[in-house]
Amino acid sequence: MADENVFDKKKSHRAKQAGRKAEKKKNKNKVDQSNLSARQRNPKAFAIQSAVRAERQFRRREDVIAKKQHIPQVDKTPLEPPPIVVAIVGPPRVGKTTLINNLIKSFIKTNVTNTNGPITIVTSKKRRITLIECNNDVNSMIDIAKCADLVLLLCDASFGFEMEIFEFLNICQVHGMPKIMGVLTHLDMIKNAKTLKTTKKTLKHRFWTEVYPGAKLFYLSGIIHGEYLRNEIKNLSRFISVMKFRPLSWRMTHAYVLADRLEDITSQELIRKDAKVNRDVVLYGYVRGVPLMKESSVHIAGVGDMKISELSYLPDPCPLPSSEKKRHLMERERQIYAPFSGVGGIVYDKDAVYIELQGSHSHKKEDEETNEKKALLKNVVETKETVDEQMQESGFQLFSGGAVIYPDMVKDDEYLQQNKKAESDSSDSEDEGNDSDDDSGIDEKKEKKNKLPWDNDNSEAGSDDEGDDNDDDEEMSVDGDDKDKGDMSDDGSDSDEEPQTDFGMKWKEKLGEKATEAYLERQKTSKNIMKLVYGEFEIGNKSKKAKDEESESEEEGEELGGLFKKVTDTQKKKHKEKERLDLEECSFFYSLDKPNLRDWTSDTNKQYLINSFVTGKRSADEDASELLKLDDASDGEDEELYGDFEDLETGEKHKAEEDTETTAEPGSKRKAEPTKSEILDKKLKLKAKFDSEYDNPDDHRIKGDHSYYENLKAEALKQSELNKSVFDNLDNGLRIEVEGFRPGLYVRMLFKNMPSEFVTNFDSSYPILIGALNMAEQNIGFVSCKVKKHRWYKKILKTNDPLIISLGWRRFQTLPIYSKIEDDMKCRYLKYTPEHVTCNMHFYGPITPQNTGFLALQSVNNNPNEIKQVGFRIAATGSVNEINKSTQIVKKLKLIGTPLKIYKKTAFIKDMFTTTLEVAKFEGARVKTVSGIRGQIKKALNKPEGAFRATFEDKILMSDIVFCRTWYKVDVTKFYAPVVNLLLPVGAKNAWQGMKTKGQLKREKNIKNDANVDSLYTEVNRAPKVFKPLVIPKNLQKGLPYRFKPKEKSTTLSGTNPKDKFKNRIAVIKNPEEQKISNVMKMLKTNYEKKKEVQKAATALRLEKHKKQLEEEEWRKLKRQKELKKKICRHLSKTGNKNKTQM
Amino acid sequence: MPATVHNDLLVYKGSNFFRQRLLLATLSGRTIKIEEIRSTHDDPGLREYEVSLIRLLDKVTNGTRVELSETGTSVYYQPGILVGGHVTHNCSTQRGMGYYLEVLLALGPFCKEPLNVVLQGVTHSDLDVSVDKIKTAALPVLLKFILVDDGLELKVVRRGAPPLGGGEIVFKCPVRRTLRPLQWTQWGLVKRIRGVVYALRVSPTMANRVVEAAKGVMLKFLPDVYINTDQCRGSNAGKSPGFGVSLVAETNEKTFYCAEAKSTDVGTGDITLPEDLGRECAQRLLDEIYRGGAVDSAFQWLLALWMALGQKDVSECIVGPLSDYTITFLQHLKEFFGVMFKLEVQRSESDDEDSDDEGVTPASKIKMTCVGIGYVNISKRTL
Repeated sequence: MADENVFDKKKSHRAKQAGRKAEKKKNKNKVDQSNLSARQRNPKAFAIQSAVRAERQFRRREDVIAKKQHIPQVDKTPLEPPPIVVAIVGPPRVGKTTLINNLIKSFIKTNVTNTNGPITIVTSKKRRITLIECNNDVNSMIDIAKCADLVLLLCDASFGFEMEIFEFLNICQVHGMPKIMGVLTHLDMIKNAKTLKTTKKTLKHRFWTEVYPGAKLFYLSGIIHGEYLRNEIKNLSRFISVMKFRPLSWRMTHAYVLADRLEDITSQELIRKDAKVNRDVVLYGYVRGVPLMKESSVHIAGVGDMKISELSYLPDPCPLPSSEKKRHLMERERQIYAPFSGVGGIVYDKDAVYIELQGSHSHKKEDEETNEKKALLKNVVETKETVDEQMQESGFQLFSGGAVIYPDMVKDDEYLQQNKKAESDSSDSEDEGNDSDDDSGIDEKKEKKNKLPWDNDNSEAGSDDEGDDNDDDEEMSVDGDDKDKGDMSDDGSDSDEEPQTDFGMKWKEKLGEKATEAYLERQKTSKNIMKLVYGEFEIGNKSKKAKDEESESEEEGEELGGLFKKVTDTQKKKHKEKERLDLEECSFFYSLDKPNLRDWTSDTNKQYLINSFVTGKRSADEDASELLKLDDASDGEDEELYGDFEDLETGEKHKAEEDTETTAEPGSKRKAEPTKSEILDKKLKLKAKFDSEYDNPDDHRIKGDHSYYENLKAEALKQSELNKSVFDNLDNGLRIEVEGFRPGLYVRMLFKNMPSEFVTNFDSSYPILIGALNMAEQNIGFVSCKVKKHRWYKKILKTNDPLIISLGWRRFQTLPIYSKIEDDMKCRYLKYTPEHVTCNMHFYGPITPQNTGFLALQSVNNNPNEIKQVGFRIAATGSVNEINKSTQIVKKLKLIGTPLKIYKKTAFIKDMFTTTLEVAKFEGARVKTVSGIRGQIKKALNKPEGAFRATFEDKILMSDIVFCRTWYKVDVTKFYAPVVNLLLPVGAKNAWQGMKTKGQLKREKNIKNDANVDSLYTEVNRAPKVFKPLVIPKNLQKGLPYRFKPKEKSTTLSGTNPKDKFKNRIAVIKNPEEQKISNVMKMLKTNYEKKKEVQKAATALRLEKHKKQLEEEEWRKLKRQKELKKKICRHLSKTGNKNKTQM
Repeated sequence: MPATVHNDLLVYKGSNFFRQRLLLATLSGRTIKIEEIRSTHDDPGLREYEVSLIRLLDKVTNGTRVELSETGTSVYYQPGILVGGHVTHNCSTQRGMGYYLEVLLALGPFCKEPLNVVLQGVTHSDLDVSVDKIKTAALPVLLKFILVDDGLELKVVRRGAPPLGGGEIVFKCPVRRTLRPLQWTQWGLVKRIRGVVYALRVSPTMANRVVEAAKGVMLKFLPDVYINTDQCRGSNAGKSPGFGVSLVAETNEKTFYCAEAKSTDVGTGDITLPEDLGRECAQRLLDEIYRGGAVDSAFQWLLALWMALGQKDVSECIVGPLSDYTITFLQHLKEFFGVMFKLEVQRSESDDEDSDDEGVTPASKIKMTCVGIGYVNISKRTL
């Protein structure tokens, strides 16, 4: 910005060029060449010694450059920018109001008794600022962060940073970071110099981590007589007035107004009848951001969406000084405007206006100028209508008895004239009389004169004497389809009375002819094209009402001869509209009527076309030969170019070419001869180009290719230049119509049907932020965004718990659903926000462009106890991803069934579904048993409703559980409630309470849930396990070895002693005979046994004897054998020896 | 016919400009109501082609609500979000495909997913711009606004003449978050003339005769004339016989003028001579060139739309004389978006001198200047 040089503009030092001092300096700077190294003498020769190092250096340099580059943005600051919003933010009792008072005093040298609402002051020749104090309410903090350009963040140094400061910084980060300057106050409370130093340092570093390293932090060291030190304030104000700003994306796309004045213009009678009646409220303020469009809907933060019903601009109440050439601001130009604070003479209360009389000093003599000014200001402030409106209402008569002329008529004409002026600039042949015309009649006649030969059918007999009413016809005739119009002029004014059939016939007859006429005329298009397209549009401040009245007065109509009423303009219009009502829609130039085109091949017509082709003649600035000529001419103007000269060698004489222009065809009239100014322009351009290419001192080094970036930058610059210049010489009213109310204008906005609480509960310490909504932003839909719970927030957030979101201009409460985006882009429902990770969030709310940041709070209640409990209040932050009209959030669902019957690999499953229809929907779905056998749903069974047939990859068991995994869609609740804290009563504005969470309600009402019985913990009783006996099939038993065979008296079921087996057998009692028998039997048995015993002993004896005998025999046998062996061996040895000797 | 506003609801009357109104409502997100649609006609209510348009809009949007009155003479339209994506639509044969395609072209850059539309129906019609014209003259205009051509494509799969149609096209359009402001005040000089002659279910000589005639006219102005013939056979030729021609003039500043002419429909009894057709088309092209401007006169409204939907920057373009359709469109733009164009008539210096002695002057050019409303594609997803 240009303001920074306000303070830098000191006379620069001029070094001596000659004389003793200059000589001395020259010698000092001169380097002694004798003892220099070669490198020092000739640095260029040693420029690159190592390619690698040079490459590294180059790369590093490029990195540094690339880091500095930002995407070039089109600079949209207007020529006369709106005041800069300087917000003073901080915890309570930190010295905000004192600082504002001191700043005002330092800027405009007056004391302001009470500061309330925005205070606009002129600080320098090109800068105004609006000071606004932020109270200790999170709602205000949010609104202030959305509109502030510069924030002075006050902090009590003796206490340190408080939670509010961190909260505010967080809010700022989300909504587009304004410039932030920290201000430490209460430094005098720290007595110890060393602790003071360390506190300053720690606070500074903490501040830097939050904002950016090196952020400016001011120290206001103490208060003397209730004021900060003058020097420190001076310094601070100096910093404020040279501050530069970077455009923020949200504010560069949205217009907004920080209202600094409010009026309730509801009629008192209505209020008397019903105090709660909806009010008509007028708000005033500077437009900021981008141009504010008429009829755009706005959001008033803390109230809701509204439609501006009337928008007009007012003369600036706190204007910048006129652009006279002077260095400083004059005393009287240091203005202040703060209606809420009662400065500028007026205090607004709920029901009265007070004019401040400056105490006893007001009776002192005041110079006339200030008096006058005050009166003027009072006038302006007091009037209900704007100045322009008043102007509108006052008409004047030129002649007695003549029509009253209202200024809007004149204005229209002004526009006409302007148009004409622009035209006449190019063609001087236009009639000069236009400029002096004031009334519309003359103007119209002139226009008629300009009419073209082929609209001769328009030569109506009475057109000239019919005056005003006909003028509009004239204009409408240009509309192209003047079918009915032509008719009427032919048949006289009573043509409408003719029978319909006749009309139709004629209409058809002339169709082709008329279409051709229309076609020819259209190509000529009227000069007043704007009027043709937009009709009688309102210009600037003109209100609709005035216009309606005007038209009504016209509508009364004149009676011709008493019998026939003249067809009024409106009737005609209606007729035409009716005709067009149901036509076929067609985008061609000649939509439905096919005119006879000109024969372009005929020679005369061809001439007008031939130059549209590359083969034709070109205009002067395109033709290569002309350009060449131009270049040559600029080289040396005095030299005669293409003139006569004589070739000395050949003796030929060249004559200058005849001017081709004279011989050219009449159609090819294009300017070829460059004028002097053109040549001059060309030269300047060339010089600029040359300068930029060669005069750059840094050019000697190797440079990277930044052409892409440079091009982008140039494009942005060009666009911003165009934005500024294109409407410069346009009539202000029309300019506003086309461009909107550009930033910097002071506007008055009328809102109808505002809730009465807005006025009755008005508190000027709360900012009224009016933000314009762009296209489609007033609609409501489902917003999908990414969100992260703030790491300082103590709790995690639960799905469907009400959350207050600050998004765009709005603050509203809604019910969000958290989800996680899976790899297949499916949004999976989450019940709680995860910690330290972003997740997705859907809610029902206003449609907002993507990438807009938002923050979420669980409550905006400023109850100190609650705050203390919660600590940090910002629950989450995030940004918008996507807008839609429906959502697709799913959660996992497992359907469980059990087998009904099992065949080999097929099984019938029941209990998964309840109806056949459900099954039909799931045909082909994958199912799975718990043991992992996969299968597929085949078809529904008709017997048990909901059962189905399924096939598996293996046989399943009856005990298996079969489940089917699906997704269940979760719907987002359609709940959207704007936070309407401005409507709350004055004391309770900071206690807005929306929907409560279920938990909150239960806690309040002391409702406790019955626990689910299944979820209760009970003692576990486990019965010992009983196994079934092992049964071995008989076949298998047969094959087993005996020891594995189950034995008869193996373990029994009861596990008792085998001896007890016979316990419960019945005793047998014998009769005597039986006893005898048994005795005998017993004796026999004993006998037998004795006998057996004896026999056994005898046998044993015998056996022993026999054994002995056998042994003896054996022994003898052995002995014999031994002897025999001995004998044989002896014999053998003997024989052997004999043989040996023999040999 | 200006709209009446009831509580943010725009109420219109009559069936004319039905398409404009639906299109602008969809883009602006404003609810509209159209009443008295052919209420006094013998056949009251919406026509088939208009219902088909509503269907198409429903297909490319999400959350659209349409309510028709019982007689069909009033429509309530609450637009949803533009989604785009893959859409197949069977257009009504009462109107040409251009009727639908122009709407899609206007909506295309603002969808959630890139548009990929298959349209079936009549490709060439008298009332509507043909697909050839859109392909050659409208797509370059869009390209000026989106600058990078990543998938802007219009493919004529089959041609279909009225009354039965049977043509098919594929239209693909990339999405953008914003459109860039455009300054287009130079349109240059015509450097080449191209064209295509199609003949469906008629003798191939017809096409050649058309070429001959059209070329005969155009060659008087420029030597660089080349006209293709597209002789379709079998299923590619659609269901009805017919032939036609479209000529394109390209300037050295990438402006395309296009003119077209087609034979009369089968069954009307009229006979079209191919030679007449060629000459007529050439004459129309010359007329278009005479009118000049940065865009073809049939697409002035598209240019105006995209200029208005740009960033909050100034766009300026010079076009030829405004057509009726464009004028109405500008009025509608003001009603829906509140954007007003500054219109100036541009005159060359020689103009006034000429006007007295001669009958024909160069067509006046109109400089349209506007500040974009800062429209952003709210449907597009950012990750």
